[in-house]
Amino acid sequence: MIDQIFGVWNYWIVFILMMIGLYIVISKKSLLKKIVGLAIFQTSVFLLYITFGKIAGGTAPILTDNVNEIYSNPLPHVLILTAIVVGVATTALGLALTIRINKAYGTINEDEISASDLVEYHKKYLEDKK
Amino acid sequence: MIGEIIINAFLVTLMLTIAIFIINTRKVISTILLTGTYSLVAALMFVSLDAVDVAFTEASVGAGISTILFLAALSYLPKEEKKEKFNVKHIYAICTCTIVAGLLIWASYDLPLVGQLENPVHQNLAQDFIEGSRNHIGIPNVVTSILASYRGYDTFGETVVIYTAGIAVLVLLYDGVSKTSKNNKGKNK
Repeated sequence: MIDQIFGVWNYWIVFILMMIGLYIVISKKSLLKKIVGLAIFQTSVFLLYITFGKIAGGTAPILTDNVNEIYSNPLPHVLILTAIVVGVATTALGLALTIRINKAYGTINEDEISASDLVEYHKKYLEDKK
Repeated sequence: MIGEIIINAFLVTLMLTIAIFIINTRKVISTILLTGTYSLVAALMFVSLDAVDVAFTEASVGAGISTILFLAALSYLPKEEKKEKFNVKHIYAICTCTIVAGLLIWASYDLPLVGQLENPVHQNLAQDFIEGSRNHIGIPNVVTSILASYRGYDTFGETVVIYTAGIAVLVLLYDGVSKTSKNNKGKNK
């Protein structure tokens, strides 16, 4: 019974974490907060992969002299190592873009950015009309 | 065995709590530090799931360098978020996320239970990699031998991605931030 519950518990929490990340990306107006939401989503996906690779009673995939040792699956670990580093590259790029947007608009709030775009557009329209 | 399960469940619930606190924090510095903590707890979680290489990468890169990048960016950005009213868009977002979470949790009943030896993921390549690492490559750490040899092209592609990101960050910040030029972002690993 307890095995049944905890056998899927990790999956449930991982899915809820994913959705928290998605909610932050959808609903928050601050661009920095959106990047944080992406990071949460990313880490939950890493956790999902590593959970797949786990074998109960196994050990970390570093070879020992014991021939009958059970090792957890090393392949998801390798994929996630690559993904972590790429994730940091994405974060750095997003932060650089945010800094540029803040420089150009003076704010990183999504609503204020689109409002100031709209004002620019109408100013241009009126000038063209004259 | 049972202790392992309880530690797992505790750590993963801790991550959930931290993520819930991140949603409503308005001070940017606390958001960043909570994200760092989240990464660190994730690293602990990876240790308990036998992924030691992933754990130290997550602790150094996810909790270390990411946090430093966020803090560096914070010095050019507003320190506090604007207050938002709860409006109909939030309700749409909550509905979407709840429905997707419900569907995923429903689908999770078709996933194999965590940690069973007969799960499909353990049936094919893993054993070959472990034997190959012992007999052909001679590196005791199987993750290293896969990373550098069997999936070397992946790692090469990763390096290309980081190089591109580093160049892009430099180009973006070149005349955007002129007073300091010490942006070695993306040059990690």
